[in-house]
Amino acid sequence: MLASSRRVATLAMRANPTSRIVPLQSVATISTTPKKDATSVTPHSHTGLARQRKEVPLASQEPKKGVMQYALTTLDQVTNWARQSSLWPMTFGLACCAVEMMHLSTPRYDQDRLGIIFRASPRQSDVMIVAGTLTNKMAPALRQVYDQMPEPRWVISMGSCANGGGYYHYSYSVVRGCDRIVPVDVYVPGCPPTSEALMYGIFQLQRKMRQTKITRMWYRK
Amino acid sequence: MSTITRTVKNIWKVGVRDAWRQINYIGDTKAGTLIGTDRWGNKYYENGEELPLRTRWVDYKSHDFDAAQIEPGWHAWMSYLVDKPPTQDALLQYKRRDWEDADPRSIPNYTLSRGAYKPYSTVKSKVTMWEPTAVERK
Repeated sequence: MLASSRRVATLAMRANPTSRIVPLQSVATISTTPKKDATSVTPHSHTGLARQRKEVPLASQEPKKGVMQYALTTLDQVTNWARQSSLWPMTFGLACCAVEMMHLSTPRYDQDRLGIIFRASPRQSDVMIVAGTLTNKMAPALRQVYDQMPEPRWVISMGSCANGGGYYHYSYSVVRGCDRIVPVDVYVPGCPPTSEALMYGIFQLQRKMRQTKITRMWYRK
Repeated sequence: MSTITRTVKNIWKVGVRDAWRQINYIGDTKAGTLIGTDRWGNKYYENGEELPLRTRWVDYKSHDFDAAQIEPGWHAWMSYLVDKPPTQDALLQYKRRDWEDADPRSIPNYTLSRGAYKPYSTVKSKVTMWEPTAVERK
């Protein structure tokens, strides 16, 4: 009962950003500076709070219409099945996350049974696993390797350093997240994430592949 | 699928319907004893005669299953952290904590959906955008 009511209250606050919280008056009288708390600030347009919400169905929620859509859906399913069941990652091991990535290929987790085989060449790989701290010096190399990968290509950002700089966020020589260099599909949190977590991230990527509309988007165009 | 004889033997043991389901979801035919079922309806099996690390497996309830749908206690058993399954070990059995929702199993992974985590900032931006306003030429 308590937990549910708390959740309702939280949701209500989230849904209505203009709801005011009564400030502590005693503190305000002591303070000489003009009162400027978070409630008095108007939301900025770029945060998206001021805009009116517009709900559109997700690409995966759109219903199928017509014979052509059904036929192409089957075609897409076959393609996606082929893609997701032979996922060849390009290893981009940069730091300690790479050790966990190596564990994924050892018998305990055994990625080979899922059709995931590490390739040393970007030209033969589908997905790049960025594992570790991406430094400024390494960033051009990462981008070059990404550009050498053939389409379709995906990127998994593994670990907090690759996600957003992590521990080295305020360092002078570290890129604050590899998504500043390459477009990332799946972020795996952790420092470092366990091999199991990385595997779960790979499953999420496979789920994303399953929902990709390849020929249907082509037909729409 | 190791050998034809093993596949045929397992199909004979579990039946054609279950074998077809296993081929579709696990990618192999497996025969074992049913150890238990969790709150989601996932079924857990064990067969000690399989190869090491393949002796315990799960048959998911849902079609679009998620590895996070395994209960913590069963996850420990599946990962060979413990010997006894939650059906035999009271400590591993699921108990609802006070801070949990009334029905925690209704929390799916929101990735790729409307409920996916999306960060936003409530503080004023430290960067001032350049607004291109061309001055009229005189």
